[in-house]
Amino acid sequence: MAEESILTDDFLRELMNVGEVDILVGVRTYNDEKTIGQVVQALRSGLLQFFPRQRAVIINADGGSRDATQDLVRAASISDLHHVANLQTLRTLHCISTQYPGGQASGNAFYSILAAADLLHPSMIAVISGHSTQIEPEWMARLLQPICRDNFDLVSPVYRRHKFDGLLVRNLVYPMGHALYSQFVKEPRPSEFALSGALATHFLGLDIWSQEAGRTGAGMLLPIAAITGGFKPAQIFLGSRERVQHSESGLVPAMRQTVGTLFWSMEKNFPVWSGAASLPPIPTIGGEPQITLEPLRINRKRLFEMFRTGVAELEPVLQSILRPSTLSELQRLAAIPEEQFRFEDNLWARAVYEFAVAYHKAVINRDHIIQALAPLYRGKTFTFLIENRDSSAEKVESNVERLCLTFERLKPYLLELWDGVK
Amino acid sequence: MALSEDALWYKDAIIYQVHVRTFYDSNGDGIGDFRGLAQRLDYLQELGINTLWLMPFFPSPLRDDGYDIADYRAVHSSYGNLDDFRNFLRVAHERGIRVIMEMVLNHSSDQHPWFQESRSSRENPRRDWYVWSDTDTRYRGARIIFLDTELSNWAWDPVSKQYYWHRFFSHQPDLNYDNPAVREEMWNIMRFWLEMGVDGFRLDAVPYLVERENTNCENLPETHTVIRDFRARLDHEFPGRMFLAEANQWPADLRPYLDAAEFHMAFHFPLMPRMFMGLKLEDRKPITEILQQTPAIPEACQWCLFLRNHDELTLEMVTDMERDYMYDEFARDKSMRLNLGIRRRLAPLLDNDRRRMELMNGMLMSLPGTPIIYYGDEIGMGDNVNLGDRNGVRTPMQWDGGWNGGFSSADPEALYSPLMLNPVYGFQAVNVASQKRFDHSLLSWMKRIIKVRRSTAVFGRGSIEFLYPANHRILAYLRGSASETILVVNNLSSAAQAVALDLKAYKGNILVELFGRNIFPRIGDMPYLLTLGPYQFYWFRLRKI
Repeated sequence: MAEESILTDDFLRELMNVGEVDILVGVRTYNDEKTIGQVVQALRSGLLQFFPRQRAVIINADGGSRDATQDLVRAASISDLHHVANLQTLRTLHCISTQYPGGQASGNAFYSILAAADLLHPSMIAVISGHSTQIEPEWMARLLQPICRDNFDLVSPVYRRHKFDGLLVRNLVYPMGHALYSQFVKEPRPSEFALSGALATHFLGLDIWSQEAGRTGAGMLLPIAAITGGFKPAQIFLGSRERVQHSESGLVPAMRQTVGTLFWSMEKNFPVWSGAASLPPIPTIGGEPQITLEPLRINRKRLFEMFRTGVAELEPVLQSILRPSTLSELQRLAAIPEEQFRFEDNLWARAVYEFAVAYHKAVINRDHIIQALAPLYRGKTFTFLIENRDSSAEKVESNVERLCLTFERLKPYLLELWDGVK
Repeated sequence: MALSEDALWYKDAIIYQVHVRTFYDSNGDGIGDFRGLAQRLDYLQELGINTLWLMPFFPSPLRDDGYDIADYRAVHSSYGNLDDFRNFLRVAHERGIRVIMEMVLNHSSDQHPWFQESRSSRENPRRDWYVWSDTDTRYRGARIIFLDTELSNWAWDPVSKQYYWHRFFSHQPDLNYDNPAVREEMWNIMRFWLEMGVDGFRLDAVPYLVERENTNCENLPETHTVIRDFRARLDHEFPGRMFLAEANQWPADLRPYLDAAEFHMAFHFPLMPRMFMGLKLEDRKPITEILQQTPAIPEACQWCLFLRNHDELTLEMVTDMERDYMYDEFARDKSMRLNLGIRRRLAPLLDNDRRRMELMNGMLMSLPGTPIIYYGDEIGMGDNVNLGDRNGVRTPMQWDGGWNGGFSSADPEALYSPLMLNPVYGFQAVNVASQKRFDHSLLSWMKRIIKVRRSTAVFGRGSIEFLYPANHRILAYLRGSASETILVVNNLSSAAQAVALDLKAYKGNILVELFGRNIFPRIGDMPYLLTLGPYQFYWFRLRKI
């Protein structure tokens, strides 16, 4: 992705008018007219309340909205021509908007924001989703103060979530990421986060933007780049997160963006993760995330069926990915009745690592590899739901921790396979 | 050089503010005097100013730098006598320089014979010349101005055993303007000086002349009545003379004073701190906003603009948020703060940055109003925050690098104030003689900008129209009259800036830069693109050829 292609002349002119800033807030939108007004008002209030003296800009990277999203962002500007009643400000606050090319991919939006940051030299950058309806002005302080006050480079959020929310992260991305890099963020693909100017410059300079992983998984690559680049990450508690109902058809795209990106990143970062020293846990500021336990209806039976069908139907594919012993264990598992079914952590971690190695060696089309992992993930999810049906929050956490340890314990297995011959 | 006959001369004035005591000592007693000031008029003429504003020079115990007057009809013996003053006035007028003097209407010194008589007994005929009370609870709505020194606006007089009213220091009792005899006497005093030839008065502390219960005792209708009475007499007996109001108020509150029946001119107090703020924030917003809030004034009236003066940089007319910002940015050292302000000179406030001094002076000279230069700021003199009160910005004028900086032949210990001695601002580093040697010194530059400013009447009399380019670091405006238009573009930023100006209403005009007279491209259909270096500014004349 060439820089010229994303910075239109009009956008460049607007950036020239903004000039150097201390804080850049990037807002990703696509047809968000219902929520963007509230989001931008909260951002503006937060900036004026907590950073009244800093030079700030709100930049909207829009994926091609056909509604009033962009106009609503621009209307939030404060200048000597745009007065806001009952609002005292020292400075001009520019709110500008640009449409980036290449569709709605979040990576393109992020790239636009980082490209703008590269020109405006902010020391702090916050990235917010245009449909973050739970946003409060205090989020500006929570996201940015760890950077300006405590010199963190990445501020990743953690939320109060339902125990059955974010299962892909709990069962795969977080445990594997943690095993690889010895520390990882709890929300590896957040809607809102903040980073330092130094990390932004580093991240923009990575050779990822012309590739699919950069376009679809930039949010996921950021914490990895922070950890592998020796930057200081922190997590910040941002309150509750509404549970989003994911459709079954959304699982594979989500896996491409998370698991696919994680596997992809292992290529470049092999020298780091293969010898990763033990790093301290990432500090969480402002309270620990809590798990909520309200009853929730999930169709477990369907998950189990999809696992069984997947293992059966994808056997030829799985043969090219998994070791025979692993595949036969999975097939044995697929044959036992639902009430006796239990996808052990050990088998799960081994299978995931074998998928990662297959991805590395591109034994078949990489996209097919990710797709083939989906039924296995469903099986693991089924076990997670059964195991934690009546668990307390602490128990859920300890189960996730146990899975992390399993992934960590099996890391030599991953290393052994990585350069070996299948 | 003859004085202009124009009754609106004050609109074209470039005022130089000076205290006689600080400028030049002719008799070697360590204190500046009128003979010394007269000897230095050549310098002021060369600088290009055409009006002098003299701070109080009356007999006084000098507990408030002369604003505590003990005799309104004489000259303090340290500065000379009435004949010296008359001679100085004559010489100034011969050089085309008008003279405005200070008139402290609101209060006298407690050493003034009027007050001595007034306090001598409750039956004294002058008792009612001041404001007396049995309690100190009247006029509770009035704020205390000198917060750092005064706890109340009332002071107990042990002689006559009553409280007297004072809006400023307790040794400055307020005169009672409800008493017709006081009003008559104050006019007679002004007439005394006007007959001598002074060209106008800066009337000190105007809003506080009259007190009324259940008000804040500022800007009362009765105060306006007093002023109108004085103005009517001035116009009748001395046409062409001028009143300048010192009223530290918001523009809307000040507007009633700027009226054909009251004041010719008034200081624009709220603009000054916002110029500093705009520069520090690198954002024009504070400046344009206060000017947007500034009401239109009658044709015959004028704002007086200044960057620094003999007082602290007052922060009364800013919000709490703005005041905190100003303190943090310009007076981190608490010893620099006084009352609600900052007691510093221009050069130290701007970190002795020549580019910023030029830009601030450029705005001072091009925004609507009559500019005032505080003595010494034209050479970048520093301040001494170790001296008490506001004395740190009232040190002797630095003429050369020799004995006492060329100010006085007295022993240094005998000077009314220590000289600036530090390596940055001391008289050996900053002085008139050394700056006269170079065409590119600050002094030479000040002469040039004054000359350019005086080359056109549009800055003093023209309209203003702000341009609002999207680049907020650029403050751009058009000053216009029937015969000419000047475009002013200021870069408030420490970095180079590009700006696109919407000048399509002036399509076809050529821009002629006023300092170098170089021609810039003709204005076309597209936005007019300019680039400006850090803190750079341009003045362009628009020419349709």
